[in-house]
Amino acid sequence: MTGGRRPGHGEDVGSHRTPEGRRHDVGKEATKPPGFPTVTPGLNDAATTNQAARTRAFAQHVEPEIDVLLRVARTLTGSWADAEDLVQDTLIRAYRGLESFDGAHPRAWLLTILRNTNINSHRRQRPDLLDADDSPERHTPAFGATSTPSPEQTVTDRELGEDLQRAVAALDPKFSTVLLLVDVDDLTYSEVADVLGIAVGTVTSRLSRARKRLRHDLNANARRSS
Amino acid sequence: MSTLSTMWTCHWAGRRIQRYLDADPAAPLTAQEAHRLHRHLATCAKCASAAEDFRGLRRALATWSQHRTPDPQLAARVRDTARQLIAEDAG
Repeated sequence: MTGGRRPGHGEDVGSHRTPEGRRHDVGKEATKPPGFPTVTPGLNDAATTNQAARTRAFAQHVEPEIDVLLRVARTLTGSWADAEDLVQDTLIRAYRGLESFDGAHPRAWLLTILRNTNINSHRRQRPDLLDADDSPERHTPAFGATSTPSPEQTVTDRELGEDLQRAVAALDPKFSTVLLLVDVDDLTYSEVADVLGIAVGTVTSRLSRARKRLRHDLNANARRSS
Repeated sequence: MSTLSTMWTCHWAGRRIQRYLDADPAAPLTAQEAHRLHRHLATCAKCASAAEDFRGLRRALATWSQHRTPDPQLAARVRDTARQLIAEDAG
């Protein structure tokens, strides 16, 4: 942990979309969460039982998603250090919100918490979440650039294909973020919609335009080289 | 097929090729759409080339994920902190 924000109790852990794209309001369910058993009020060991259930639910629903959360947070923030902070704060919120989680679609639930945590943080926001322009061409200098790439990263990038790297970097971050979340981090359209707070249709539209732009740029480069 | 008709079919196919390749549950093609797209890709070199380019692009980007996997030490640190949080809550 490199930073020190702590979200307060009672903060909104949000509503989220199911993988099918439906909105899903956390905490408004008529049924009790299957992963979080009801505790009968008045029992002496109620608090202990509640704690055990919360610990069990955390291990069952949250811990398996930590790697995915870190990858997504890395894409959103542009650095592993910021990703670590963001995920840490997300886990704290998730832990506090477990009692209202219904046990279904934990990844969608966690991605929504991660989005809210990122929005509410005082960290520097990447412009892809704020910019209203709808052109896939980059016009802000922020892609993956919240920190200067290390020499090691630069070598790695070269190994992965300079042309592709350049073409992705030339995209507006709003488009490259969707592209990276789907094609690199392997999220579904609905999961991307959850983590960015946009409609699934917007995800498909941005993704399509990003890929078409990449194809155009890479083919143009290939023609110039031949 | 007339030129106009071909152009229209290419336009129709161009709006569906990526959804077809992604096969994402949130934006599936109907069986009828998939069948029509298959037939078009079998006869239209331009759209078949686009589909192949998008396949290659997805393959290339998928290799990036190997280089964007969190360091195991970082993941372990996050897990440890989470467990510490739980222990503090229990205490």
